[in-house]
Amino acid sequence: MSATVLFYLYAAVALAGAIALVRARNLIHGIIGLFATLVAIGGLYLLLGSEFLAAMQLFVYGGAVTVLVLFALMLAGPKVATEAAPSRGVAWIAGVVSAAFFVAVGAVLWRTGWQLAPPHIHDTASIATILFSRYVLPFEIAGLSLTIALIGAVVISREDDISSATAVVISRDDDIASATAVVISRDDDLPTPAHAPAEQPASDSAPVATAADLAGDEGGAV
Amino acid sequence: MIGLNHYLFFGAALFAIGLYGALTAKSALRVVVCVELILNAVNVNLAAFSAYVAPKQAVGMNFVVFLMVVAAAEVGLALAIVISLNRTDDVGAIDGIRRLRG
Repeated sequence: MSATVLFYLYAAVALAGAIALVRARNLIHGIIGLFATLVAIGGLYLLLGSEFLAAMQLFVYGGAVTVLVLFALMLAGPKVATEAAPSRGVAWIAGVVSAAFFVAVGAVLWRTGWQLAPPHIHDTASIATILFSRYVLPFEIAGLSLTIALIGAVVISREDDISSATAVVISRDDDIASATAVVISRDDDLPTPAHAPAEQPASDSAPVATAADLAGDEGGAV
Repeated sequence: MIGLNHYLFFGAALFAIGLYGALTAKSALRVVVCVELILNAVNVNLAAFSAYVAPKQAVGMNFVVFLMVVAAAEVGLALAIVISLNRTDDVGAIDGIRRLRG
């Protein structure tokens, strides 16, 4: 098949998948359309001569993002998956806005005369050369932002935090000391309250011992 | 022969579909997925510009790589927010979200 036929095939599959995603009332069915769109866009990257981007598209979008959305859907429960069709007014306004956007962008694209360069096949090494020389600082920042996003996602989606646990325990128990003792015992790295009374006499005896030592020292001096 | 404009019009159409979906969506999860469509449309535009306008330097291809990283971080955070919203309000509807903290 020629590149022209392949382009129209990929573009048609991608747009059909996107429309299926937008129109689907059950989001799980829509994600199948999303998957078709993402894979077809990977095919477009191949036609553009970048097999690295095609592989990344399949790995990151076709694999990871699709599975992540499906997992979120399963964790969120069945009520989130299905939703009613948008009301007629909302659909009409959104359709007008997006159609106006397409017409405006299309008019600009149609008039602009791009200065095209002769085609040149990229290999992965040419992308990597720029990525690790000129854009090495953005590359590091991108890695850092991924780490921060991962930690933030864990913090946001955690089941409950310490402060709410403290509030619940104090409201249930009138004695604040025992309440904090219960909270402390929930933590693993802090000592359990059973150790606290044992330490109390030891800390009391320490000044006594130093006083006795002082008296002894004085007696020895005298 | 497929030219630059074919890819650009494809990207504009995909962007418009994603925009329609994001505007009509009621659940936050659906908005996130439609934003992914929009980001993919932008990626296609960047890759097409890189291949047709400045093919010697693979700068546009690198932009696509960075956009993929940012989009992956964004979708991870957004899904975490959706899950925590869902736990407190047991609906994913964005109309019902009025507090940032609570």
